[in-house]
Amino acid sequence: MRLPRFRRLGLRARITTVFALGALFLSASLAGTTYQLTRQSLLDERERAAVRAAYFDAALVQQGLGGTEPDLAQVLRSLDTGEQRRPLIRRDGQWFARTADDGLTGSVPTELLTEVREGRPAVQRVHLRDEPALVVGVPLSDGTGYYEVSTLSELSRTLRVLATVLGLVALTTTLAGAGVGWWASRRVLLPLGQVAGTAGAIASGDFSARVPRDNDPDLDALAVAFNRMVEQVSARSEADRRFAADVSHELRSPLQTLSAATSVLDRRRPSLDERSAAAVDLLTSEVARFETLVTDLLELARSDRPAERRPTDVVALTRGVLATRHCPPELLEVTGREVSLGLDPRRVEQVLANLLDNADKHGGGAVRVSLSFCGDAVTLEVDDEGPGVPPDERGLVFDRFARGRAASARGGSEGTGLGLALVAQHVLAHRGSIEVLARPGGGARFRIVLPGGEP
Amino acid sequence: MPRLLIVEDDDRIRLSLRLALEDEGYTVKDVPTAEEGLAEHRTNAADLVLVDLMLPGMDGFDCIRALRRLGDVPIVVVSARDDTHDVVAALEAGADDYVVKPVAVKELSARLRALRRRASGSGEGAPKTLTFGEIELRPEAGEVLLGDKQVHLTRTEFRLLCELADQSGRVLSRQQLLNRVWGYDVYGDERLVDVHVGRLRRKVERDPANPLHVVTVRGLGYKLAP
Repeated sequence: MRLPRFRRLGLRARITTVFALGALFLSASLAGTTYQLTRQSLLDERERAAVRAAYFDAALVQQGLGGTEPDLAQVLRSLDTGEQRRPLIRRDGQWFARTADDGLTGSVPTELLTEVREGRPAVQRVHLRDEPALVVGVPLSDGTGYYEVSTLSELSRTLRVLATVLGLVALTTTLAGAGVGWWASRRVLLPLGQVAGTAGAIASGDFSARVPRDNDPDLDALAVAFNRMVEQVSARSEADRRFAADVSHELRSPLQTLSAATSVLDRRRPSLDERSAAAVDLLTSEVARFETLVTDLLELARSDRPAERRPTDVVALTRGVLATRHCPPELLEVTGREVSLGLDPRRVEQVLANLLDNADKHGGGAVRVSLSFCGDAVTLEVDDEGPGVPPDERGLVFDRFARGRAASARGGSEGTGLGLALVAQHVLAHRGSIEVLARPGGGARFRIVLPGGEP
Repeated sequence: MPRLLIVEDDDRIRLSLRLALEDEGYTVKDVPTAEEGLAEHRTNAADLVLVDLMLPGMDGFDCIRALRRLGDVPIVVVSARDDTHDVVAALEAGADDYVVKPVAVKELSARLRALRRRASGSGEGAPKTLTFGEIELRPEAGEVLLGDKQVHLTRTEFRLLCELADQSGRVLSRQQLLNRVWGYDVYGDERLVDVHVGRLRRKVERDPANPLHVVTVRGLGYKLAP
């Protein structure tokens, strides 16, 4: 369960975490070992010192016990034990101490008493009023036992300081590990970022984008492979594009003749008989459609080039397009702060014209055109009151030669099937987005977001 | 009737354009090469010239330059090529407008009519002389002086200057200029304006790279500053 969540982190976060955990593990184990070893050696030394001192004091007490009626309290008082050691004597089952018993005698464990009673010196670690202490028992003659309780509070303070220092060192090391991980992952991911940036540029039509070569042989291989792939892809796409352009280009000259010759015929239509007039009408409309088709094909063939951005007044452009199509100006709604955006005006004009054409053909004409400005982008919506686009066809309407079901049912005599594909291409060249929605109240709504850019 | 010269190597296009444009009221002379076109224009000057770019022998660009040297007859390029490079090169060579094949006869005819229009601001009531710094514009006489030297402008360049002068310092967008000078009522090619402004600057500015009078207003268009 933990692994998938870890995977969800970015590569960089994961590398950093691994470095931090590694540093934590290393520094914690080093600190732990150091603490244990130091503690052991300090304790051992203290114990040895305590034992030595106890033996020395015990010898003095033994001498003091030489008389017939020895004053035990006097003997104890004569010992030079300092603050750290407290002497005790147990004789005939009774405790003797320098001062009133303040729980000191209770701290001597029974096992130790037994050992000493049986004539064996012993050492044991105990807790005296929540502080670590050491009890040394030395058997004297005639069953008397001499005990010394040494507090280890100073030692434990030293150890606490040591633990704090070691903990801080471990923490610092862990943070340093995380820092190294962050830096190293940045270094490792830098070329990936470049590749991602280049791929983004290529996706928006800039086939000249390449990943810069790197001095590092491992990374250079990636750059070289990526660039080779881009060259292959762009060569193939260029070949496709050129073919479409060549075909359309070759069609242009005969079309020019057809167009001019048809207009000569059309001019004489009133003097033609009914059958010839019908034939001329057919010719005129089909030549016009053919012209649009070839123009659209050519446009499509080069629409994957990056947009030629220049400062564009989208509102004025839209008003112009609506006026030339004799659409009422009330159709246009503008919201947000109108700004001039870096767009390709020729393409934006085509986007608008094609969307309006589409509304005419499939939706009975546009009923609303809206421009809303937000920051450095404009959202364009064209609504119609037609049958709308069924949800399962919404992804397909932007394909080339995809025509709506309704159009197919009519025999598809209008349109080239390229209009919306061209719109989508133009939007893509602007790195914008396009979608078709259901209009509230019925019909279709085409929504386009065009981000402005540097001209 | 205005005399129209068509220079086009494709026989069928040439014939169909002649038939269609004769219907539009032009007296048409059509020739298949640039050399014949130039010879024809020298002996019998046309009022308008249509030129294709891909011609055998002398190409369309050279043909335009040669025609320009002969005078300021309006030249419209009718080409199947629409690369920016070709469009700009043809306009730089001196063409007044550029249409891409296939062009509808109605559209072509509208382009030709616009190029033959007289400069605006030359109607009655217009001032005789307009001054912008060193530039002196006489719309009625069709004359432009830089300092005290007369500058030779083509008809289109002159109309462009007049439209800008008419605004007395206000900015005209490229689309407005396309509409007023070239008669476009739909979205026109803004390169047309940019190249013509460049040509105009080379004639009326002392330093065309740093224009003082025909100035670009970034994001909006052009204006004529005093």
